[in-house]
Amino acid sequence: MAAVTLSHVGKSYGAVGVLHGVSVDIADGEFVILVGQSGCGKSTLLRMIAGLESVTSGDISIGDRVINDLPPKDRDIAMVFQNYALYPHMTVRKNMEFGLKLRGTPRAEINEKVAHASAILGLESLMERLPRELSGGQRQRVAMGRAIVRDPQVFLFDEPLSNLDAKLRVHMRTEIKALHQRLGATVIYVTHDQIEAMTMADKIVVMHDGRIAQQGAPLDIYDRPANLFVAQFIGSPSMNILDGQFAGDGSAVFITDKGVHILLANVPAENAGRPAKIGIRPEHIMLNDSGIAARVIVTEPTGSETQLTLDVDGHELVVLIRDRVDYKPNDVLKIGLAQNHIHAFDADSGSRLTL
Amino acid sequence: MSAATRRRMMRFASQLGTLFCAALLVSPALFFFLWMISLSLKLEIDNGAYPPIFIPTHIAWKNYSGVFASNNFFLYFWNSIVVTGTATLLALIVGVPAGYGIARMKASKSAIVIMIARMTPGLSYLIPMFLIFQWLGLLGTLAPQIIIHLVVTVPIVIWVMIGYFETTPLELEEAAMIDGANRWQIFSQVTLPIARPGIVVSLILSVIFSWNNFIFGVVLAGRDTRTLPVAVYNMLSFEQVSWGPLAAAALVVTFPVLVLTIVAQRQIVAGLTAGAVKGG
Repeated sequence: MAAVTLSHVGKSYGAVGVLHGVSVDIADGEFVILVGQSGCGKSTLLRMIAGLESVTSGDISIGDRVINDLPPKDRDIAMVFQNYALYPHMTVRKNMEFGLKLRGTPRAEINEKVAHASAILGLESLMERLPRELSGGQRQRVAMGRAIVRDPQVFLFDEPLSNLDAKLRVHMRTEIKALHQRLGATVIYVTHDQIEAMTMADKIVVMHDGRIAQQGAPLDIYDRPANLFVAQFIGSPSMNILDGQFAGDGSAVFITDKGVHILLANVPAENAGRPAKIGIRPEHIMLNDSGIAARVIVTEPTGSETQLTLDVDGHELVVLIRDRVDYKPNDVLKIGLAQNHIHAFDADSGSRLTL
Repeated sequence: MSAATRRRMMRFASQLGTLFCAALLVSPALFFFLWMISLSLKLEIDNGAYPPIFIPTHIAWKNYSGVFASNNFFLYFWNSIVVTGTATLLALIVGVPAGYGIARMKASKSAIVIMIARMTPGLSYLIPMFLIFQWLGLLGTLAPQIIIHLVVTVPIVIWVMIGYFETTPLELEEAAMIDGANRWQIFSQVTLPIARPGIVVSLILSVIFSWNNFIFGVVLAGRDTRTLPVAVYNMLSFEQVSWGPLAAAALVVTFPVLVLTIVAQRQIVAGLTAGAVKGG
């Protein structure tokens, strides 16, 4: 096990820059998830750590070794691919043994490690099967087994669950997290699914356009998004955003571009009159008889909660309510915003403003 | 009529339709083949008969025994095996790695150069090649034919293998790279075993084209170095056109290729890569 340090890592293909000065410190045994939309450079970054892509600038270190120019086999890493990448002509056992055999590991040790890994993953009864005879979830487990037997310093996962159906994905999510707790290994995991990121990670690195938009513990990021992109990307359904400006008279009021007045807890004096965007998560809006009037557009009950889409003077707001409510379209109700949970962002840069 | 019966009849009718269309499509090829068999089994008198006789009353086995008895048939057969076998083997040794390299390096220009070599008509370089072989003193041997058959076999192998290697997922090789394999180990232990169906296809095509090649043999072969197609041709020219023995000889020449294709077909297991990557 080892710590991984990315310091000002950059990547460009010719004149096209893909990654711009990415710096992340990953502690020994930490589960770090790189998350972002497709094309944000997260997979490229992972492949650079794996040694499948060259590093244009900056340094990648594992432990205290800079590994920029080492071939993948000398980096002491293992990788689980999105498409499993199991060797189709080898049985599960041969797939798992392959890396150890190439390294000239003694037979007895190979057997012991493979037996150990297959026991952890519950693969014992499948060892003599070929990959094509396995289900998606089983293949995924074999791919992890192939990584585990190598006993690497760092595990790399490249969107490992995106080919599985929804139910299996939730199951494997729990399994991977349990596996991490059991092995205590350093894990770097790439996904575009922010729920995967929230539920599994010790630390999330949100990437956007080849840069880090924010990094930190999942709930910190959820509670204090550093900018508009993170605010909208993390959380489902995503945060409601309203355009407008702070009141010019110094009162703690935000006036939206459609003229709705929203009371805030506090607005620092230097922000008076400043154009901005405010955000509030759907679960931080509640029914309140003395609040703002809103018209129901759509009601979507999920069983555990109800998602309402409301119209407030031309603003569309999504609201999550724990109670069973039965509103019809065009019903009018009153809502209140939890003042402590309102976020504010600069209108131009999108960076977080202190309230 | 119950619904189940009707459904069964519908299915039967659709199968019948499929069968009919298939029969219609292959009928020209099939008819030639059947007519050749018919010719090879008839006496010369029946072969000239009008209206034509398809199934003879007397089977002329002597057409076949004649093929084997005359013309050094076994020598020519052996020559064909040596020429085709060596040319195909060399083509696989050179062509499979070449196809891999071209596919991975995306070297489409060199692929086109190889294609041009194949497209050039054989006659345009046969005479110079003949002179070169003569100068090298190779003419009494099978070497000239083996060398010149490479013009046929190598491009086929390379082109089939390029197509095959392009479809084998790169992720497998990356996985092997991370597992600690070097370039050669990746090729020999991961890529090559997966490419086996492609190798079999290129082998069959290479054997067929080389085995049936006529023009190189006519120019380069001497009396003792003839291959089977040339030998069959000679059967036609020295006596009168005797259709029975000719058809019998042609069938005997075709037979080994037919057997090889049927045997090797089992090796072309479709979807050998299934399970490697999702949907791959």
